[in-house]
Amino acid sequence: MTRNAPAVRLDGITKRFGDVVANDAVDFTLESGSIHALLGENGSGKTTLMSVLYGLYDQDEGTIRIGGEERTFESPRDAMDAGIGMIHQHFQLVKPMTVLQNIVLGHEPTANGLVDEGDARADVEAICARYGFDVDDHLDTPVEDLDLGTQQRVEIVKSLYRGAEILILDEPTAVLTPQEVDSLMAVMNDLREDGRSLIFISHKLDEALEIADDITVLRDGEAVGTVSATNATEQDLARMMVGREVLFDRLDREDDPGAPVLEADELRVTGNRGREQVSGIDLTLREGEILGVAGVQGNGQTELIEGITGLRTPDSGTVRLRGTDITDRSRRARIEAGIAYVPEDRQTEGLVQEYSLRRNALLGNQTIAPYAEGGFIDWDAVGDHAESVIEEYDVQPPNPDAEARSLSGGNQQKFIVGREIGHDPDVLVASHPTRGVDIGSIEFIHERLMELRDGGIGILVVSSKLEEIQKLADRIAVMYEGEFIDVVDPDAVTESDLGLLMAGQSLTDRGSDDGSDDGTDSDADGGVTA
Amino acid sequence: MSLLGGTRSSRLRLGGFGLLIAVFAGVLVAAPTGGGIDRILTPGFVTRSLEMATPIALAAVGGLYAEKSGVFNIGLEGFMIVGAFTAAGTMFALGGTSPTQAHIWIAIVVSVLVTAVLTVLFAVLLIRFKADQIVAGLAVWFVGLGFAPFTAALVWGSRSSPGLASVDAVAFGQSPLVFLAALLVAAGWVVLYRTRYGYWVQAAGENPEALDTAGVDVNRVRYATVIFSGAMAGLGGAVLLAHAGNFVGTGQTMVDGRGWIAIVAYLFGNYNPVGAAGAALLFGALDMLNVQFQTVGIDVPARLVNLLPYAAVLLVLTAWGKTRVPSMVGEPYETEE
Amino acid sequence: MSGADGGRPREALEAAADRLLRASVLERIGIGIASTTAALCIGLIIAAVAGYDPIRFAGQLIAGAFGSERAIARTLRSTTLFVLTGVAVAVAFRAGVFNIGVQGQFVVGGFTTVVAIVWLANFVPGGTLGGVTLMLVGSLAGVVAGGLYGALPGVMKAYGDANEIITTIMLNFIATGFVGWLVAGPFGDPEATATRTRRLPDNVGLPRVVFDDPNLSVVGLLVMVAVVVLVAALMARTRFGYDMVTSGYQDAAATYSGVDAKRMIIATMTLSGMIAGLTGALFVIMIQGYYTDPSGIGNYGFDAIAVSLLAANNPLGVLPAGLLFGGLESASSHVQINSDVPVQLIDGIVGLVVLFVAAPELFRMIAARTGLGGEGE
Repeated sequence: MTRNAPAVRLDGITKRFGDVVANDAVDFTLESGSIHALLGENGSGKTTLMSVLYGLYDQDEGTIRIGGEERTFESPRDAMDAGIGMIHQHFQLVKPMTVLQNIVLGHEPTANGLVDEGDARADVEAICARYGFDVDDHLDTPVEDLDLGTQQRVEIVKSLYRGAEILILDEPTAVLTPQEVDSLMAVMNDLREDGRSLIFISHKLDEALEIADDITVLRDGEAVGTVSATNATEQDLARMMVGREVLFDRLDREDDPGAPVLEADELRVTGNRGREQVSGIDLTLREGEILGVAGVQGNGQTELIEGITGLRTPDSGTVRLRGTDITDRSRRARIEAGIAYVPEDRQTEGLVQEYSLRRNALLGNQTIAPYAEGGFIDWDAVGDHAESVIEEYDVQPPNPDAEARSLSGGNQQKFIVGREIGHDPDVLVASHPTRGVDIGSIEFIHERLMELRDGGIGILVVSSKLEEIQKLADRIAVMYEGEFIDVVDPDAVTESDLGLLMAGQSLTDRGSDDGSDDGTDSDADGGVTA
Repeated sequence: MSLLGGTRSSRLRLGGFGLLIAVFAGVLVAAPTGGGIDRILTPGFVTRSLEMATPIALAAVGGLYAEKSGVFNIGLEGFMIVGAFTAAGTMFALGGTSPTQAHIWIAIVVSVLVTAVLTVLFAVLLIRFKADQIVAGLAVWFVGLGFAPFTAALVWGSRSSPGLASVDAVAFGQSPLVFLAALLVAAGWVVLYRTRYGYWVQAAGENPEALDTAGVDVNRVRYATVIFSGAMAGLGGAVLLAHAGNFVGTGQTMVDGRGWIAIVAYLFGNYNPVGAAGAALLFGALDMLNVQFQTVGIDVPARLVNLLPYAAVLLVLTAWGKTRVPSMVGEPYETEE
Repeated sequence: MSGADGGRPREALEAAADRLLRASVLERIGIGIASTTAALCIGLIIAAVAGYDPIRFAGQLIAGAFGSERAIARTLRSTTLFVLTGVAVAVAFRAGVFNIGVQGQFVVGGFTTVVAIVWLANFVPGGTLGGVTLMLVGSLAGVVAGGLYGALPGVMKAYGDANEIITTIMLNFIATGFVGWLVAGPFGDPEATATRTRRLPDNVGLPRVVFDDPNLSVVGLLVMVAVVVLVAALMARTRFGYDMVTSGYQDAAATYSGVDAKRMIIATMTLSGMIAGLTGALFVIMIQGYYTDPSGIGNYGFDAIAVSLLAANNPLGVLPAGLLFGGLESASSHVQINSDVPVQLIDGIVGLVVLFVAAPELFRMIAARTGLGGEGE
């Protein structure tokens, strides 16, 4: 590899999945010996682009050059042979095996037919010494006994042991504690100084600015632009990430919402990894109001919603529906009590793919009259419900016997929204209601949500699309690390301020308090009541 | 890594082991009202326990390799039946009702080869055609239970063979096959924990993607282990026959659940060949203890004592939870295109 | 599902989906026929190699299964057991729980029925009414025992995270061993030479109507049909069935819709065990009349897995699949008496059928290679 040829150069990479264009003629250049951050929201095409580079997908158009030389990768093995290593979000580690065994897997040095542990150990210790890794204390520890930060370092050492010159780190900070993030940054810095080239996939602005030399922002599969980290500010990046071309027609706000329908007090919820993800949330949702929750994914939105809808038991705090404490009620009891839920993942949660729409119309309604009574299902009533949802929500194809999986994402989503509000709920919780949905359906779903609000239902919307939140919400609560960092007025707040809040910086620190709502008050532990 | 592994789960497993040994000792202490312990723990008892444990240990080592790599070979029992019958048939073909020691050894080799070839077909069904491992494994058992006695009836006119010959003891009144098995168990341990192939086997069952991205063909590893497991079960069956000296094809055949006990043994030994052999020895001794009690006239329900291994596995699985079942057992692996 | 609206104009997409669905039902039948044919062909070849006349052997198989009124009665008797145990397996598999323990639940249920009836016979007057009472209470005991024995691995899975495939296999051995010990010891009939319990009293037995066979009663067939219909209706028409089937398809969707996953596992295992227990009760009342060492009563609970798989875990599909296995078992009784071909050949053939049923991909590939049914996928 010559010094001046870029380590990686992608030209006009286009990757389609069916009709969806995941990458649209993306150009990307990684200079040798530098760190290049790839920034973008979930679904913006970052991972797809890197999977093309790593040989997991074949691009439909475009070329890959490594060190100036054009290459095609049939598989990750080819990419590895070309000196590319990828640290996935889900580590490629064999949990019960030791650190040393994991590092040398597939490239074991042998002597007399046995793995030469001494040789392997010496090599690995040399790598660790060179970059100041502390994993060499753990070489004989099973990987599963290590914390995630150390596991990640094992992955990095593994790539280096295999001779990787170019490292792709896919959202490496997502699973780390702040201290672990700091030490990862130090490691990345050391690697750069040693002449390796790194691609850092992230959606966190501050981290990208801190560590990267260059930053490329992806949005909706397109490279919005590449900037040098020294010249860029968080506001610039936030604007590039969320986009501004869709100037939404702001809809009427509800100035005078009714009585509280859903309240949460000091809610704390633990996530799948055993870490507290919701750290004391207070919120009050009123009749005829839409409360938007904005935030970068992974800041506790999912757990908050699951704590409210009954899919996850809160550790402490209370959830009240129309004044009744429902904290200990099951998911089913909460459905019956009137909490409807448009789930985050319509493919695995919201619909049974092999079921017809008719059968799917019953999902969640199994104990609701008239669809079921005394344990028996009235399929005629369910069928009528399916047909009315199909008609009212313009679901294509308009056939209740079509299998859910045969529908497009937008039509699936319209069906779910229609089904969920079919039995007059008091509260609708909608998680990313328009993710992966075509433009036409987005408009349609938005209109319906507004109508429902005007009809007096309290709606909690979680979305990572700022324009959606700003269009729909009467109030926006920004969630950061398990707390509401601020609650702002959607008409007054700017996108860049939202971007800052989502990055964990309070607006008052910067001296601009254009957004604070009148209901806002600071909590003992720093969170804000919504 | 110590001989029994150093992870938390195997320490728990040792607890399970201790429990079973305690039960074993308890039976020994509580029962002998009619005779002293010295009358039960005779040298003959030790010899017979080892002999009893050998086929189980062999099949267990094979089975744990397959499962470690991600394929549950539930057909061990069937392959043991095939192995036992093939050995008997070969012996009879070579030397009629009075085969020589050489004939016995040839029969054992033939038996391993035949079972290995049959396992190739089984492995193709499981890996290439993604057959349901549970159902296909049960099918192997049924096929063995059907065709072995069928062929026996063709050859000998009865489901069981006439008396053939058993292998002569070589040292300490012990069969050479016991020593062979001990050697294989040790080799099984070394290969699994000390060679690259062992690393690959472990990775194939835990995180095949990690192995694949390391440049090793996951399915090739799995083919190797499944075929090995069949061959080892066949060897176990042949050894069983070489100790017994004749084939019994009535009821559940002479294998009589030993293949299933082999699965229990490796679960109990936490997929460690030495641990599995230890468990096999314990089960063999438990079985022989029954016989011993009968000999000295103590009345213990043999049938119930024989259930202890199964109950112990249930206890270990539930109370200690998280048996270290390789996480990808039963999942066919396909490389990403 | 209730009345599809035929008048609606059909979209191309939906028509394609329909074709796929039909193809997969056809495909399922095709795989069943192909598995059986392949296994039988191998069996006939083996018979020929062994020096028997394969045509004659094939003839005996057919005669043994359907050739006479007696053969048909025998076939239906076995079919009853295969269908019921098959439904027990199907219920669990449909819900995504792998109950391999139907054999054990069948044994425990049957034994409990015998014990309950023999004991209660001391208190219940003789005669038809007493007999009916004994049978009802005995069957109930069998159902409860089977259900509890099925619930056990369910609880272990739900709360102990113990893999149900392994626990149910272990519980099969424990059931066989423990009941075997009970039959030989505490519950053995001291007057009998064989190892068995005391016989059921004379007033316990199902009426002989239509079939003049001591071991087959129309009542048994009715029970079989009733269970199939009830389970099919449960799955199609009730909330519990919907919850159960949804859990099997997509557990995340089931949880979303308010199903408690742990409870559903236990409920499913219990229901599956109850059906297995009922089969055990029917087995002792209609056929056996006492309980013997369970290691000798046949592998109904194991074959049931293949029956259910062959039927794509559909309770209605279990009827023809069970009939196939019933026919083979009946043929083997016939061959045992009327032919010099060792009857174990048929056991081997059944094993091969199971083996092929386990590997549908094999036939898909053959079909694709030969261009047969190429439209299938």
